[in-house]
Amino acid sequence: MTEPRIRVLCIDDEARILRALKALFRDMDVRTTVDPAEAIRWASEFDVDVIVCDQRMPKMQGIEVLREIRMAHPRAMRILLTGYADLSAVLGSVNEGEVFRYINKPWDNNDLRQTVQLAAKIARDTPVVLDKGIDDFSRDQARREVGILVIEDDPETQQRMREILQPHYQVRFASNPDRALQVLEQHETGVVISETAGQHGDFTALIKALKQYHPHIATVVVTDRANAQTAIDLINEGQVFRLLLKPVRMGSCRLSVDAAVGRYWQLKQNPQASRRFLVAPRPDALIPSWLAGSLMQRIRLLPSRLLGMARAH
Amino acid sequence: MIEAILGFVCLALGGFAWYSKQRADKAQARLAELAADLERIQQTQSQVIHTTKLASLGQMIAGVAHEMNTPIGFVKSNVEVVRELVTEHRELIKKCLHGFDLMLAADLSNPQMIEPMRRAMTKVRAALAGDERLNDGDDLLKDAVDGLVQIANLVKNLKGFARVDRDGMDALNLNECIESALTIAAHQLRDRVEVVKEYAQLPKINGVASQINQVLLNLITNAAQAMEEGGTLTLVSRRSGDQVEIDVTDTGAGIPDNVMPKIFDPFFTTKPVGEGTGLGLSIVHKIVQSHGGSIKVRTAPKKGSTFTISFPVDHALLKQSAEPK
Repeated sequence: MTEPRIRVLCIDDEARILRALKALFRDMDVRTTVDPAEAIRWASEFDVDVIVCDQRMPKMQGIEVLREIRMAHPRAMRILLTGYADLSAVLGSVNEGEVFRYINKPWDNNDLRQTVQLAAKIARDTPVVLDKGIDDFSRDQARREVGILVIEDDPETQQRMREILQPHYQVRFASNPDRALQVLEQHETGVVISETAGQHGDFTALIKALKQYHPHIATVVVTDRANAQTAIDLINEGQVFRLLLKPVRMGSCRLSVDAAVGRYWQLKQNPQASRRFLVAPRPDALIPSWLAGSLMQRIRLLPSRLLGMARAH
Repeated sequence: MIEAILGFVCLALGGFAWYSKQRADKAQARLAELAADLERIQQTQSQVIHTTKLASLGQMIAGVAHEMNTPIGFVKSNVEVVRELVTEHRELIKKCLHGFDLMLAADLSNPQMIEPMRRAMTKVRAALAGDERLNDGDDLLKDAVDGLVQIANLVKNLKGFARVDRDGMDALNLNECIESALTIAAHQLRDRVEVVKEYAQLPKINGVASQINQVLLNLITNAAQAMEEGGTLTLVSRRSGDQVEIDVTDTGAGIPDNVMPKIFDPFFTTKPVGEGTGLGLSIVHKIVQSHGGSIKVRTAPKKGSTFTISFPVDHALLKQSAEPK
């Protein structure tokens, strides 16, 4: 009748953190280790549901551990728990670790427990989208069919993105949220590429709202206004797929967009899996006024036909 | 004719006097200008030095704040969990007490009651004996106390490092200064740099603690930055005749020959624009000099660098400490 206990694996170089987590998760099946290599072995050996990992450790950085575990045991959901919010760690946790949540020390006990419970439920109920992506045939098809929306109001960057993307994908541009929604309403869009902010305000609010209602759309944020906290919020509230810094480089941009198209394509075949990229609904108070009214309504009502699948909500 | 010549000479002399006065005035004005420039430069310099001091203060605070997140994390979590454990334990005691009340109310004259009573008591006993919550709580509180001591030490170190309370000369133990700077720099070293310490017994020197700490923090930070890929930081202290010396050695990239002559120049930096002020080592140099000390560098490409700072032993202090108290 009862579900088997949640299996959690905690990795930290500080033994006292591990004892604290063990006590905090005392109703779960907890394994702890200070040794990253052991953690990577244990993840699949004990078929754990959730990984809680520190970032700064002497033998191996947390994001490396999480990347290895993502390869070896993709079913587990990954949470980074760290006392340091430096930008490179945050970028790594998005682009390499693909973490579910980035949590700062000191943490809030109830929040952390609930996050682990939610992550475990998702890990058990939701199919995995595998990392190896899609075959060449599907990729060509996806490139032809899946629309890419670039939200960017800097003409120079627009031009640069056009050069990089136009030859290979169905790209559309929007320099403000209203235009962005018009594109989303009219075309099947699988990937949204966006700055964090423009003259028209905070684009991250738009990305987060979009993710909340349409978690299968992959978002790639390209920014020169990077700061660690914005990036952390984009993980926790926006489940951003990739975070790139300007200036945009052709190679990394194409790689990221290809991966994003692949991710969308897989989720389209396998809509259940998009729960893995679930974000908590944002409290109304945090939604800026320009977005709260009709734009929010339009995001909610984006037709599933054009999104290419049944909506997750 | 003579008059005419005299007149001319007078005229010429007058003209010359006028001309040289002009020149003197000009020179005077130029001098005033230069003095103003100098003052402006000095002001800017002291502003920049102040800014660097603030920057190193900021770096210090950020470092210590980060160091604190970990102990605060487990201390806070543990205390909250212990509260939950205490609540759960209280619930258990309540249940047991309820059991006792039932037993006390039972009819003891009835011999048939003895067996069920025994069973009930055994159950209550087992529940109490098997409850590990208080033991677990004990361990968690022990860690919490540990963590608080760690936080207290960090705060103490921060205070000791900045020495905001006194800015004058003090008798300093350089080994303590090294330790203090190491704590502040810990977040830059921790996960990639191994630290080796070889401290000798040192006589105290006369110095301004906050300045000496700034020198050491600077050298340690530079060493850490020279070892992007990790390495070993060796800190050696020793007495050498009339001097106390400290070596700060890294196993990093080393300093190229063409850079070496400029490293103590103000505003010279190899870092990208916006990342370094180029003032670190020039200030280090200035502070060491103002303490009557000197600084030396040895470097080998790809092997690393050693910065050696030395300060004169203060004989008055030495005598003081040698005298029986």
